[in-house]
Amino acid sequence: MKSTEGGPTGALGAGARLKIALRVLKGAFFFGRKGLIIWDSWDMWVMQIVITPIAQIGFFALLSIYLQYPTSVTQYIVIGNAIQSMSFSAVFAVANITSQDKWQGTLPSTMVTPANRAALFIGRAGFQVLLSALIAAAGLLYAATIFGVSFAAADFAGIVVTVLLTSVTMIGFGLLISAVGLYMRTAMIVANIFLFVTLLLSGVNFPVSELPGWLQPVSWAIPLTYGTQAARMAIAGTSLAGLVPTLGWEALDGVLVMFAGYALFTGFENLSRRTGRFEEY
Amino acid sequence: MGALSELAPGKKVEGYMAFRGQVLKACMILTAKLFFADPQWIIPSIIAPFIFTLVAFFLFGGQASTGSFLLYLVLGSGLMGMWGTTIYGSSNSIGFDRWNGTMESTLAAPIPLSWIALGRVLFNTFEGVINALFILVIGLAWFQVGFGVLNPGLFFLASVSTFLSLSAFGLLMCTIILLSRKGGFITNSMEIPVYIATGTMFPVSILPLVVLPFAFLLAPTWGIEAIRLSALPGYTGLATNYWLDLGILAIETLAYLGLAFFLFKRVEAYAKRNGTLEEY
Amino acid sequence: MEKARHNGKAIEVVGLTREYITRSFFGGVSRVTKALDGIDFDVATGELFGLIGPNGAGKTTTVKILTTLLTPTGGEAKILGLDVNKDLYEIRRRIGIVFGGERGLYNRVSALDNLRYFSDLYGVDPAVAKTRIPQLLEAVGLADRAQERVEKYSRGMKQRLHIAKALVHDPELLVLDEPTIGLDPGGARDIRNMIREMQKQGKTILLTTHYMFEAEELCQRVAVISKGKIVALDTPSELKRLVRDISVIELRTYGVTSDYVESLKRLPNVLRVVSELDSEVQTIRIQSPLGADLLPLVTSALPSDAKIIDRTIKEPTLEDAYLRLVEE
Repeated sequence: MKSTEGGPTGALGAGARLKIALRVLKGAFFFGRKGLIIWDSWDMWVMQIVITPIAQIGFFALLSIYLQYPTSVTQYIVIGNAIQSMSFSAVFAVANITSQDKWQGTLPSTMVTPANRAALFIGRAGFQVLLSALIAAAGLLYAATIFGVSFAAADFAGIVVTVLLTSVTMIGFGLLISAVGLYMRTAMIVANIFLFVTLLLSGVNFPVSELPGWLQPVSWAIPLTYGTQAARMAIAGTSLAGLVPTLGWEALDGVLVMFAGYALFTGFENLSRRTGRFEEY
Repeated sequence: MGALSELAPGKKVEGYMAFRGQVLKACMILTAKLFFADPQWIIPSIIAPFIFTLVAFFLFGGQASTGSFLLYLVLGSGLMGMWGTTIYGSSNSIGFDRWNGTMESTLAAPIPLSWIALGRVLFNTFEGVINALFILVIGLAWFQVGFGVLNPGLFFLASVSTFLSLSAFGLLMCTIILLSRKGGFITNSMEIPVYIATGTMFPVSILPLVVLPFAFLLAPTWGIEAIRLSALPGYTGLATNYWLDLGILAIETLAYLGLAFFLFKRVEAYAKRNGTLEEY
Repeated sequence: MEKARHNGKAIEVVGLTREYITRSFFGGVSRVTKALDGIDFDVATGELFGLIGPNGAGKTTTVKILTTLLTPTGGEAKILGLDVNKDLYEIRRRIGIVFGGERGLYNRVSALDNLRYFSDLYGVDPAVAKTRIPQLLEAVGLADRAQERVEKYSRGMKQRLHIAKALVHDPELLVLDEPTIGLDPGGARDIRNMIREMQKQGKTILLTTHYMFEAEELCQRVAVISKGKIVALDTPSELKRLVRDISVIELRTYGVTSDYVESLKRLPNVLRVVSELDSEVQTIRIQSPLGADLLPLVTSALPSDAKIIDRTIKEPTLEDAYLRLVEE
């Protein structure tokens, strides 16, 4: 790939930028069934909001029942999975945003201007935040209605803030993973590994403290870990004020993750400019 | 360029089964090559089941110290891996032609569609078995438990039977994908529900009654039971007998096959009536 | 011995009809579209027969019916003496199809893998395939890149592979659906040469194309299809005689606009004006019985900043005949 010198700073020419954009798109397109969410058909909505969350919560809840753990443990698991179920949508949000552009044919023009790119991302991300939050909310609804979790003492303001914040921070994580996808051939595998690993590491099914000591810092680097913790506290009755420490850490973590993602994006862009290569899918 | 006039004449293979055998082999080989050309396969096949198992391991906590329990866990994981490839691979064995642009080439072939699908499904299921073995090996190494099954011969028989029933199920799923616009939705939604309903990680007996008929109609449920009965000492599960399980498995598998071949004829008739199976 | 069975006719179409029914929301019939409205034609064994027509005329529908991919709603079609409704698999074994464009190949594997797969799918004896496939690759000029993934091929290469794939099982009849579409002139020429060679082998060929000069160059007879009906069927020279009453003035101009073209259309005795205004030098073809007599009027209508670089009086081509036939 020859680099096209253009612009006063010798920045990547339109051709090379387009190639980057297309690479992101290709990665996005192949981001698995869970990744490629086409929201204009009712069945995808039903699958994302009803079937998959219930099935996922059900699987782990039944496991707990089989092992004859006390109800409190089962409920712990139910809440954790209810929150976690939003992560597929949130993490793949970045991929969805760019793939929507592909369908509408607007990506080339947007990708050429960095300012536009940022604006586009923020605009679209807003939609994804709401969507992911909706999925988590649905999960909590199932927790209450199907899986018997009591919301009697719950602080709903706390729940809402937790869900929205977790949604935002997980989208930041999606940015991080998409950046990896720019350069690596196996982006989707990385993304999916990550998402499945949250089942293990984010306090979804059991507390982080049960993990080996060396693994725990990794857990606390994932925003979702704070999210599940805060959600449980809110449902148990902790007020929004009481959640501030946990949510504060989550917000901070989210910001760091977003910076890391952006840095990685730029880093890979520079790397490919230097080496003049893109990993072909 | 050479001359088109100097080509060896295209003699055809004789015999009904010889031709079909050749088609099966060709489809298996092509599917294998396409499969390895695309690295995504790892996810539903290995990563998802393995992670689910690790979570289950942590959940099982102290109980997971006995060898046979760990084996139970690891077997369940392998089975989930096999389901993964069936749901995503086999059910899309013909559907894949749609977005690949090769649907017309496939429909124009001088052999019923069901045979092409069968060849592809067989590879997919075989690949699922390899995944299961892979997960088994990783799991056994991770949890440090030996692979001592109760009765190797019966275990092997149960495994092969389950493999065949998954192939038949995959073939059936294939027709559903082709016949229904919502086919993809149905198969994608099925992933975790079948892990639950076929008792991969916990016995079917703890499921709510309303789910049980669905569970019992899935032939691999019985295969999994038979596998466990032949592998794990002291396993009672559904309190059935190994041979009864295999019997039900066989009947249901044959039913799937019959239904699949019937539905494939419908698929082909539909394609010809409308000129296409292209939905995209 | 096969010829005797089908009386020397590789394709026989009688009263072929195809309707598409659009259903309303509640299942009732809202509209019936006739894609084919009773067409008849024959193709002799060993003939190179062309089917031309505008988009939506029914070319693709006809091709799909003849290749057993679509059932007709009325009429009859026989391929090599076999009924398209009853003898599906036998027909498929004996015909080869080239779909135009990029689709129809497995891009993630090599050309060799593709040919081996289709060879097996069509029941070619493996021992024979071992020899035949390399020969085919050589014949289409892909031998040295046979092991590469098809996704790396240029469009022209893919098209050549399509031809190899269609020939892999040594079919008697070939159906080529716009085989040169989207190819550069060199690539298209290669394909046309191969088509001629295949005909020399005694294969019957049904060709659909958008390019009139291609039909004129290759086909022994051409059927013009429009709105589901065959409006003409004859040799290219006979079809051109339909427009023998007209001459064609071909102008190569510089700086003209569509306004000029519109003004030409309004001139007396001008039957048709076809223009290509997109390039730097624009080509305008004016059909008129007046021929050279029209030239003064054509020149006087020219805007002051435009220029005629070249003007020729031409004999009408198949394209002119075609345009008259489909626009009537």
